[in-house]
Amino acid sequence: MKQFDIAVLGGGPGGYVAAIRAAKEGQSVVLIEADELGGTCLNRGCIPSKTLLKQAEVVNDIKKFEKWGVKTNGLQFSLEQMMGRKDQVIHQLRRGISSLLNANKIEVYRGFGTIQQDCSIDINLGDDQKKIHADRIIIATGSRPLIPNIPGLDQCNVYTSDTIFDINEIPNSLMIIGGGVIGVEFACIFASLNVKVTIVETEDRIISSEDDEASAELRKSLERQGIEILTDHEVISLSDSDIEFKAIIKDSDGNKKKLIAEKVLLAVGRVPNTKGLENLNLEMKGPFIKVNHKMETSQLNVYAVGDVIGGLQLAHVASAEGIIAAMNAGGEQVERDDYFRVVPRCIYTFPQVASVGYTESEAENLGYHVKKVKFPLQANGKALAMGEDEGFIKVISEEQYGEVLGVVIVGTQATEIISEASSYIFLEGTVEELSKMIHPHPSLSEGFFESANALMGNSIHM
Amino acid sequence: MANEVFMPKLGASMESGTILQWFKEEGESISEGEMLFEVMTDKVNIEIEADSTGVLLKKLYEVNDEVPVNQVIAYIGQKTEDVEGLMKESLEDERDKTPNDNKEDHNLMPFKEREKIRATPAARKQARDYQIELNEIVGTGPRGRIQLDDVKEFVNKLEPDVKVTPLATKIAKAEQINLDEIKGSGVQGKIMSEDVRPQRSRVGEERREERIQMKGIRKVISQRMIESAFTAPHATITTEVDMSAIKEMRQELLPRIEEQIGERISYTEIIMKAVGLMLKKHRIINSSLQDDYIILHPNVNIGLAVAAPDGLVVPVIKECDQRGLTELTEVTKGVTRLARENKLNLDQMSGSTFTISNLGMYAIDAFSPIINQPESAILGVGRILEKPVGVAGTIVLRPMMALSLSFDHRIIDGAPAAAFLTELKETLEKPIVMLA
Ligand SMILES: Cc1cc2nc3c(=O)[nH]c(=O)nc-3n(C[C@H](O)[C@H](O)[C@H](O)COP(=O)(O)OP(=O)(O)OC[C@H]3O[C@@H](n4cnc5c(N)ncnc54)[C@H](O)[C@@H]3O)c2cc1C
Repeated sequence: MKQFDIAVLGGGPGGYVAAIRAAKEGQSVVLIEADELGGTCLNRGCIPSKTLLKQAEVVNDIKKFEKWGVKTNGLQFSLEQMMGRKDQVIHQLRRGISSLLNANKIEVYRGFGTIQQDCSIDINLGDDQKKIHADRIIIATGSRPLIPNIPGLDQCNVYTSDTIFDINEIPNSLMIIGGGVIGVEFACIFASLNVKVTIVETEDRIISSEDDEASAELRKSLERQGIEILTDHEVISLSDSDIEFKAIIKDSDGNKKKLIAEKVLLAVGRVPNTKGLENLNLEMKGPFIKVNHKMETSQLNVYAVGDVIGGLQLAHVASAEGIIAAMNAGGEQVERDDYFRVVPRCIYTFPQVASVGYTESEAENLGYHVKKVKFPLQANGKALAMGEDEGFIKVISEEQYGEVLGVVIVGTQATEIISEASSYIFLEGTVEELSKMIHPHPSLSEGFFESANALMGNSIHM
Repeated sequence: MANEVFMPKLGASMESGTILQWFKEEGESISEGEMLFEVMTDKVNIEIEADSTGVLLKKLYEVNDEVPVNQVIAYIGQKTEDVEGLMKESLEDERDKTPNDNKEDHNLMPFKEREKIRATPAARKQARDYQIELNEIVGTGPRGRIQLDDVKEFVNKLEPDVKVTPLATKIAKAEQINLDEIKGSGVQGKIMSEDVRPQRSRVGEERREERIQMKGIRKVISQRMIESAFTAPHATITTEVDMSAIKEMRQELLPRIEEQIGERISYTEIIMKAVGLMLKKHRIINSSLQDDYIILHPNVNIGLAVAAPDGLVVPVIKECDQRGLTELTEVTKGVTRLARENKLNLDQMSGSTFTISNLGMYAIDAFSPIINQPESAILGVGRILEKPVGVAGTIVLRPMMALSLSFDHRIIDGAPAAAFLTELKETLEKPIVMLA
């Protein structure tokens, strides 16, 4: 039986990053991945969705350019080519991960791993079985789409985020069940392809975990793009007639109505992958694996990171946790708090929504004297020049010292400029420095500068 | 000529002391009787006065250094005096005594080089703490000797100034916190807001654990408790005493004694007196184990557990059996006061042969105290509480008090322990027999 210092189960952004870091700590490392390297994020998550979203943005831009006097002779698009480019991006990144693992002398097994009580791992290589042993194990098995209990759903061939990236025909209409982060991103992708999109969401607003002004702003924009949004609506049954799907939906008053769509995408949340881990009898926290601030599970020498432990299910969170686990497994002592002071949350819709730090209500609940300013992008020269003036920059600060507590941006490129806000929070800059720091003109980030000056009581353009 | 300051021997058993703080800096003048440094022994912390007047020329040891007794730790003399020669002598003395003692230095550099570099002990220690090779430092002392200041300056050059975030700067300013004194928790010691933020307990904020370093008296207590609990097999027996007679007696004595010495006699002193007399009789309870011998002590010296600000201390009241209640009250009140003010000297804390721990001021009835080694037993005193008791066929209320005796079962069997406690109870219930 082959022996390693550290085994990593799962090759997503949690697992492969942990493996590389552990190798850099001087450990002998094995990585076991049942499917493709890169996990959900690379193969059916962040990367393919962002690739398609970029293409959707181009399509939207071209439609917009018509009005600006830039004429194309009729807009045509090839789904096949679009998907081809998406696959190309995935392949290139996968090759990248593979060569990084190689360069760090990490042994990679492509097969499903089952952990035994003694920390040995049985790997199912299809035609072959392999058994290895490691002193320490990092679990990074990720998550998969949740299939809810909707009557009739089991008879229907609906899409999930796992399968929709392989769609080969553009449907006329798409019903998206779930108005969370994943649902609204797909809504934008398909709306740009002229698909009639309807989002059905049980909560009273879309992206309900985010700032409510951001949620309202995004809703306005999505509806302007022709997306129908039914909040406070629950799908109570679903049927599939081969040509179209029929859903019965119910609002909060109990009124029912029928909703027809050619295709259905389920995006109602994700469940952790815990198959193959049963023998460890790990302590759980709800459906997720319970870990402490050092990413240790209830079992000695077993760590867990990423979507499988719940919390913010984001790739950069998984990677940061992977690094912490790898360092601790490699004999160092690091705690989650040292790395998690800021975690940006990004949604790549049109417009984008990005936030970092506390929301207004969180900050208030923590007892801060909150002072906030919302700067509309309509007052920003660059946004107007770009024809992307939807949205705002909201800076939430603490009154006495001007600590930047949180920032919410709705607008184009929000997911890029949020990092300036992250830096301010992480390095503990205050509104005062922000109000003095010269920003390039014209730029979207001037919105920060304006907000900070407004908070200091010296705004020029507000 | 400069006067040497020695690590004092504060008690018969003291072999070394740890310097807890220096009250003077090098170059500061000091007069005889002024506090110079604080030292910790295995029993107590004591502030030590200077025994000569002059300028503190040199400190040879740093805070937290453990120094054997009678070793030179500093020089006091005239400003212009050169202490190098003197130091050399005392250092050489030291080296002769402990040829292989400076182990860490050996690790720092090859033997030959080490020989060449001249540095004061304090400088060596500082360099070691910062993991700096001495040969990187330029000495400015006589004949190129590296002084503490040289090391400090070297370190300062490595870390030019305090790094602090803008937010932390603002908070520190508002809170009037001196940033030089703050240890930053950020990257490369950068001072972050958390390092200077006043403790606030905000709603919903996750409460953090607080860490108190086990040091000083706390560490001593911890070691002694472990030693006692894990070497001496403890057994505890309890009994209840009717305190009616003692209560009456105390009421009578109270004004008389107060008038004489201005102190109010408490139950503790009366119990101490009774215990003292009983120990004289039951000698095995007043004993210690030393190797293969049980030592029966000729004197009855009772230690009294006192809650001092930094933790438990046990001042000793000697010859309890010999003293009258007035004297006992005076002595006991005196040492407990010193204990609470952290001012006991080592002799006031040594030599006990038995200990009493009185928790009667709390709502404690009985408990199992841990023996104060190397003694063989300890008496726990509970509160006095009116309780229904049967007296000659009727139920009456009586002020009852529980006594708990923990004894070292290696030395004392159950029967003699029980006999002691029984007679103690009888004595307290009929205090007149103390006069017999
Ligand atoms: C459509 C979509 C879009 C997303 N967009 C973003 C985004 O823009 N930004 C962002 O930060 N996050 C995004 N996410 C979330 C992100 O993909 C996940 O948070 C991230 O992939 C979690 O990483 P992980 O390593 O924990 O798990 P995963 O990426 O799920 O990887 C787990 C891996 O473990 C393997 N595995 C499981 N069990 C075993 C076993 N027993 N043996 C061997 N291998 C096993 C799986 O095959 C999988 O490859 C998106 C997710 C989806 C679905």
